[in-house]
Amino acid sequence: MRPVTRALTPLAAGLLLLSAAACSTEEAGSAPGSVTITFSSYNYGTQGAAGTGTQALLDRFAELHPEITVEPQAVPVADVLTSARAATAAGEPPDVVQLGYSKLTEGLETLPVQPLDELAGADWEPHVAGILPGPVQTGTRDGHTYALPYTISIPTVLYNADLFERAGLDPDAPPQTMAEIRQAAEAVTATGAEGVYFGVADTAKSDYLTQSVMNSAGGGVLAGDGTVTADSPASVEGLRQVAALTADGLQPAVSVEDALAAFSTGDLGMLVISTAVLGTVQQAAQGSFELRTTGFPAFGDAPPAPTHSGASLVVLSGTEAEQQASWELVRFLTGEEGYRMIATEIGYLPLRSSVVAELGPWLEENPLLVPTIEQLDRMQPYRSFAGSRANQATQLLQDEAVAPIVLRGADPQSTLTATSDRIRELVGTP
Amino acid sequence: MTAGVAGTVAAPAAVRRRRWRPGAWPYLLPLLVLVGVWVYLPVLGTLVLSVVDWDLTSPTAELVGLDNLRRLLAEPEFGQAALQTLVYAVALLPAATVVPLLLAVLLWLRPGRASTVYRSLLFVPAMVAPVAVAVAWQFLLNPLNGLANEVTGWFGLPRVNWLGDPAWALPVVVVVTSARVVAFNLLLFCAALSGLDRRPVEAARLEGATDVEVVRFVVLPQLRATVVLLGLLSLVLAGQWTFTNVSVLTQGGPDGATDNVYHRIHTLGFVYFETGMASTASVLVLVFFTAAALVAGLVRGRRGER
Repeated sequence: MRPVTRALTPLAAGLLLLSAAACSTEEAGSAPGSVTITFSSYNYGTQGAAGTGTQALLDRFAELHPEITVEPQAVPVADVLTSARAATAAGEPPDVVQLGYSKLTEGLETLPVQPLDELAGADWEPHVAGILPGPVQTGTRDGHTYALPYTISIPTVLYNADLFERAGLDPDAPPQTMAEIRQAAEAVTATGAEGVYFGVADTAKSDYLTQSVMNSAGGGVLAGDGTVTADSPASVEGLRQVAALTADGLQPAVSVEDALAAFSTGDLGMLVISTAVLGTVQQAAQGSFELRTTGFPAFGDAPPAPTHSGASLVVLSGTEAEQQASWELVRFLTGEEGYRMIATEIGYLPLRSSVVAELGPWLEENPLLVPTIEQLDRMQPYRSFAGSRANQATQLLQDEAVAPIVLRGADPQSTLTATSDRIRELVGTP
Repeated sequence: MTAGVAGTVAAPAAVRRRRWRPGAWPYLLPLLVLVGVWVYLPVLGTLVLSVVDWDLTSPTAELVGLDNLRRLLAEPEFGQAALQTLVYAVALLPAATVVPLLLAVLLWLRPGRASTVYRSLLFVPAMVAPVAVAVAWQFLLNPLNGLANEVTGWFGLPRVNWLGDPAWALPVVVVVTSARVVAFNLLLFCAALSGLDRRPVEAARLEGATDVEVVRFVVLPQLRATVVLLGLLSLVLAGQWTFTNVSVLTQGGPDGATDNVYHRIHTLGFVYFETGMASTASVLVLVFFTAAALVAGLVRGRRGER
């Protein structure tokens, strides 16, 4: 055995030296490209404005921080949390994750999220000072902020002004209530086109539009204390009004992707959806039809109360050098320049008041975002189910209740009651 | 002779040990190790995971006994997915046996360049990436402006929501999957036909038998083993064959109408991170197929088949 031990000694020493060299390289962090971080994003690599806008953001960051190399990872929007959890289980979590709000609660419970306020140190207070406070609060737990808002939008009504004119409607007076939406859909359908489509049965399994519908009808998926209220009379009434459009032939019973494709080709009058698709639809509409937007409709006498969709940024890095590099990326993406690029190049909301003011002239030339910005003061907080099974509960709501009710004529009251009971048992709340 | 035998019996134990021959073990051992590590060890791990509550990333797991089984049997989705796995198995059986057999026999009856070209063309669906095929079908089946509804519209038929209507979605997944299964099994039947004993075929033709008679009385009896094998494989693998199309085209919907146990296990394990429930479902699948294999073995044993 002794000769073997002697032979192994130089090898072990060599390995130690290599390890030390690797550590010193990682800690240096000042030479160009010396720190590499991964960025898991559902916008990156996609067709249209969301993909090109994200690439533009990363290119600009690379100019500003040549010492940090960002390796973007394209992930389907429905799989962001799944992918991050699987990578974490494999010991290779991405450094920065674009995590949708419908998956944030479960993400904060199950991912190795780092407190951003601690990573930022003295930079923290001046950085968050100008950001819309509601979404920042959503990412805060036990006195620490783990998630900052990145790409946020409010549902809006996109409409085809040419189809409106053909149907004898005034494109300058778009519908503001569900009753008016219904009338407009009847007129558009009479021309042979499809009337309206509410993207509530979201294939990304987010319930932001379900919440917006229920909130606006005076109910909600959840009450402020976390109680499940998706089967309350007001919540049921909200979904019933959307389902009635399908039952009366005013809304096609198709998936969101199919409806988006139909709207992009000029075959659908109105599409109620997140402004996240605005840039992509704008490109498709160019030279084909005039695209306009209006605010989320009221479901009764009360004003509309939409909630936001979109995503936050969380950091999962393990080493100090990677954590600092990740914070630099988050700081850029949620800074003034980042938010300005996100608003103008993709179509998400500008989340700093300073950016809104700065974008004044741009908004005059590009008025499609204006109706959603005007509804910012009515925006409700996004509410998430409690615990580590929050995402499963959201998917249960969408798959077992919302889609069958809105697309396939299931009875709203009994379906929502049965699903809410299953969710209560699953997440352990009343 | 007698003395020699007696001498051998009386040899000391040490000598006997020296003379022990390893036999087939050196050849079997690598395979046994691989099977143990990649098949039986994961099965053991799955059995352990089936009695704990763990979400794949937590540092701790809680022992819950049979609670995962109780929760799994209580959810309607698993029962529906299990039943539909059987529906897939039965629905894909013709695509795995009758259709490729018929095509292979037709190609065999008319050998030549045309036959080779047709065989290559028919095999194409098995070569194309499954996800790419599924995405292409997604465009074709778009209910508002897809080609499928355009074509049915020419015949005055109403528009169909192929993947969004629970009544249509499962048959569509079966048809889309069938193209691949037919293509692959066609190749296997062609291989079986090329290995046929030609003597009885030529003898039958000399006796004036028609093509139909040759196929019916000479070819098909020789292909019986291949048909049975591919039929059994289809019954066992149908759920896995449909997985990609279910995952890309419908994600198990609408209303769970296209789900199968494998997709449900994936959803439980890697979407909901219910590792315990997913493992329990896997154990149930294993128990089902083991029991089915035992019953099939017993039936064949009673019939005296080998």
